[in-house]
Amino acid sequence: MSEVLIELKGIKKVFFTEEVETHALSNISLTINQGEYVSISGPSGCGKSTLLSLIGLLDTSTDGNYRLGQHDVSDISKQERARIRNKEIGFIFQSFNLISDLDVEENVELPLTYRKDLTKEQRKNMVREALDKVDMAHRAKHFPSQLSGGQQQRVAVARAIAGNPSIILADEPTGNLDSKNADAVMELLDKLHAEGATICMVTHDPRSAERADRSIEVLDGQVIADQSKQSRTVAA
Amino acid sequence: MFALQDFNYAVRLLLKRPGFTALTILVMAVGLGLSIYLFSFLNTMAYKPLPFKDGESLIVIDKSLNGLEYNGGNLEFYNYQVIREQLKGITEHSLYSDTSANVSGRDGARRYNATEADHNLFQMTRTKPILGRDFTVEDTKVGAEDVAVIGYDLWQNHFAGDPQVVNQTIRVDGKTTRVIGVMPEGYFFPRNAEIWLPMRISQEDMVQRNTGSGGGIVHLAPGTSLADINNQLTTIMKRLEQEYPKTNAGIGAHAASFPMSTMGGGSNIFLTSMYVVSVLLLLLASINVGNLLLSRAVERSKETAIRVALGAPRARLVGQMLWESTIICTVGGVVGLLVAAWALEVTESITATFTDDKPFFWWKFGIDSYTVSISLIFVISTILITGLLPAWKNSGADFNAVLRDGTRGALGKKAGRLNRVLVISEVFLSACVLIAACSMVVGTYIANKRDYGADIENVLTAKVRLIEANYNTREKRAQFAKRLHNELENNVGIGDVAIFSALPGEYTWSPTIAVEGTEYINENSYPRANYIVLTPGSLQKIGVQLRSGRYFDSSDDGLEKRTVIITDSFADKYFAGQDPVGKRIRVAEIDGDEPRWLTVVGVVEHTIQGQSFSPSSKTPSIFRSITQAPRFNMSIAMRMKADDAIVIRTLRKVLEQIDPDLPAHLIKTYEEKIARNTAGIGFASKVFLLFAIVALILASSGIYGVMTNTISQRTQEIGVKRALGAEDSHITREFIWAGVKQLLWGVIPGTLAGGSLGYALGLMMSTGTDVLGMVIVSVVTVIAIVVLTATFLPTKRVLMMEPSLALRYE
Ligand SMILES: Nc1ncnc2c1ncn2[C@@H]1O[C@H](COP(=O)(O)OP(=O)(O)OP(=O)(O)O)[C@@H](O)[C@H]1O
Ligand SMILES: [Mg+2]
Repeated sequence: MSEVLIELKGIKKVFFTEEVETHALSNISLTINQGEYVSISGPSGCGKSTLLSLIGLLDTSTDGNYRLGQHDVSDISKQERARIRNKEIGFIFQSFNLISDLDVEENVELPLTYRKDLTKEQRKNMVREALDKVDMAHRAKHFPSQLSGGQQQRVAVARAIAGNPSIILADEPTGNLDSKNADAVMELLDKLHAEGATICMVTHDPRSAERADRSIEVLDGQVIADQSKQSRTVAA
Repeated sequence: MFALQDFNYAVRLLLKRPGFTALTILVMAVGLGLSIYLFSFLNTMAYKPLPFKDGESLIVIDKSLNGLEYNGGNLEFYNYQVIREQLKGITEHSLYSDTSANVSGRDGARRYNATEADHNLFQMTRTKPILGRDFTVEDTKVGAEDVAVIGYDLWQNHFAGDPQVVNQTIRVDGKTTRVIGVMPEGYFFPRNAEIWLPMRISQEDMVQRNTGSGGGIVHLAPGTSLADINNQLTTIMKRLEQEYPKTNAGIGAHAASFPMSTMGGGSNIFLTSMYVVSVLLLLLASINVGNLLLSRAVERSKETAIRVALGAPRARLVGQMLWESTIICTVGGVVGLLVAAWALEVTESITATFTDDKPFFWWKFGIDSYTVSISLIFVISTILITGLLPAWKNSGADFNAVLRDGTRGALGKKAGRLNRVLVISEVFLSACVLIAACSMVVGTYIANKRDYGADIENVLTAKVRLIEANYNTREKRAQFAKRLHNELENNVGIGDVAIFSALPGEYTWSPTIAVEGTEYINENSYPRANYIVLTPGSLQKIGVQLRSGRYFDSSDDGLEKRTVIITDSFADKYFAGQDPVGKRIRVAEIDGDEPRWLTVVGVVEHTIQGQSFSPSSKTPSIFRSITQAPRFNMSIAMRMKADDAIVIRTLRKVLEQIDPDLPAHLIKTYEEKIARNTAGIGFASKVFLLFAIVALILASSGIYGVMTNTISQRTQEIGVKRALGAEDSHITREFIWAGVKQLLWGVIPGTLAGGSLGYALGLMMSTGTDVLGMVIVSVVTVIAIVVLTATFLPTKRVLMMEPSLALRYE
């Protein structure tokens, strides 16, 4: 059995807006192991993005415990959270979220510039490596607006993996892409997974969910199903 | 482009958000109101042609000495004669000299501002008397009957408006004079004349090199400019200087419009600063309103994109936005014009305190055709500027991208650039306005704090001018001064009395001086000093401190005696490192060939003669006893031990007993006299202060608005960066650095521009560069605080959000 990377216990998330309480997540307990490829699916508004934000330390839970690696990260400082996001987590967003003022190379380098332990030379190498992996090295000097959606998302993937994070979090990475581009991105994720990356991906698309080796289903802020590929194939 | 339907739409949009609309109109009204007011004020003060037919071609020529310009009629006749013969491009010329006249009648004597006039003076203004006749050539002949044309006010006061006034007689300076005409109400030409006497110069006087002086009045021929005349004058006077090096050294002539001639030295710098500052302020207001409209346009950009998608031509969209600007600027302009009209009305009572005497007759402030046209120009310019910003934003914008909800993250490149330009402009404009305005304000403050050398509290001052014919010997004049001093002091209501030819704070004659043992190459190399005479005891009684030696006493009495007291400023300059007491100096200008040496008996503190901010405030002074060197003009200072009304009555009574033909005039407290010295500049500095405050408010709110927009539009980008692991401090630093860059881009040129104005104003106000440096540092600090706060607060607000929320931010 491989090592536990993420452990959520009794996680709750409540949003308070103008006297309305939204229980986005209620009592979620979940473990993700190193090297796993997990898909999260469920109907719109069920709390998938919220869950991913909590895992990615983009938000804090209202209640519950969260262990990432060896550390309890439920109650750590903002700075510490930023540092962990930077080193341990790579994000891929539905809308790419590249910075339009920066070219491809600079976008990929951006998270690395927040680290203090890297020399310029090391950063350059890591950027080149990441761009090679997504096959975008030939567009290093282009600006996001000069790229197609699929190309932009590949750059976003390069940005997510450049710092060798422990886990890649992707929220509907193919949501804004046509099927051809979507397949290309999915293949990229497969490849990364094959190389040992831990991936946690929110998706609507059953075909994409297929590719993961574990599928979690959420409904009204609760996990209603959690199956691995083996059990699914066994069940079938 | 302007469709009525769009006008209705624009009105509807403006009415839908009354707060926003009121704010933009208010900002525009403040900017336009201030600028309209200032332009109108300065125009009346300095540029508006006199209100006569052909007034626009009427100019005055007067003397300048080593670059210092005089007015009031100081040009020597022999110089004027040459100018009149050689000057080209003029159609008519006349001659005048400002003076004063003691007019006595049944109820005692009064002093009036008088003008000695050439026969055609009234003709120059195309004005005829309402009663009687004006001067003829005969009247100006030497030996002709003494006649006078009187002003409307004198007619009313002295003759109770008697319609039979013509051919009645009055006593003018002790001479029986026949009234030949009455000028219309409000006529005070050339400046503030109340009575006109014929100027009597013979042809010999005109060419002899030692008689009287006056000022030239000419009409420019069509096509001749003032600059042409001034160039010619320079050439003519240079030639005269070469021809007569002894009498004409340093003497020049200059031409100016009448209003300009009274503005005094440094007025060009001052006017330029005022104009620049008010235009910049208007620009600042326009940019603020433009930015408010811009942010509204951004809010509506989705709606706009939909309209474009539906086929609305771009011109219509721009037109609609221009309608909003048009409505806001027009309403703002009308409000501003009304406020300016009110302020101009009020201004007249303020300007009345600018001069020691009556205000100039053209100081009539109000809405005139110039004001209306400048308002129109301003409103149209502001419409264009405020409408331009949103139009720029929308021109060529990719509406498709807006609809498609384009790339997340940073601001569009163009919007980012526009916002930066806005911040930089606001910083530039406010730095420039604040530095110029604060230089003026601080300069005035310093001027008001300067020590005139006299103790001015609870002192009443008045002037007396002896009639030359009645006091034709030095003995008589010396006798008068001593008697007046003693008799005034013998009254219970009056404490110490001082009689000066010019009190500290009053301008005076500054002739050339020679110090014994010093070689002077030519007339031009002699230093100048204020030359003041006074009754013994006056210096100590008015509070001018003794530094060494002694004050004057009875041992100095005597027309043959030659003692002098100098100021420490004189001693420092010409007797540095020596004991000046016992040294000798002489007044070179009046000495001629035979030197009359004066022995220094004492040194007193520096007194400021004239306005405390003028360069002449640094001129040293020498004092002599009036019993040695009597004069015709005297200023009396009396320490009051009773009510000022009682002191005034006592003064009048004492004067009447000594000489019934002698009126006291310009009676006012010493404090008021000193206050009038800086009244004009004080008013200007208040206007500047107002501009500074408005500029600071506009710039702060403007910069804060743009920064808040910029940063909130970049919320998502901040979210992305934080998701990628940027620490809050990193993001804050990034924004602060961007803010600092914009600050520098604006503040460096702003400091250069504002600093140049401040430097020029500093020269005019005799404040040093250290003061300017202090002003610059303070202004830059304030603006830096504004920019950094405007960057820090919105950044902090975004960082308070959880990154997940920032990422979802629309
Ligand atoms: N900042 C917030 N404030 C208030 N409510 C929120 C906030 N963020 C999310 N919610 C609510 O929490 C619930 C879960 O939202 P979430 O974005 O996680 O859904 P989702 O599963 O990702 O949906 P979709 O598939 O449409 O992206 C929704 O009801 C949403 O309205
Ligand atoms: Mg979602």
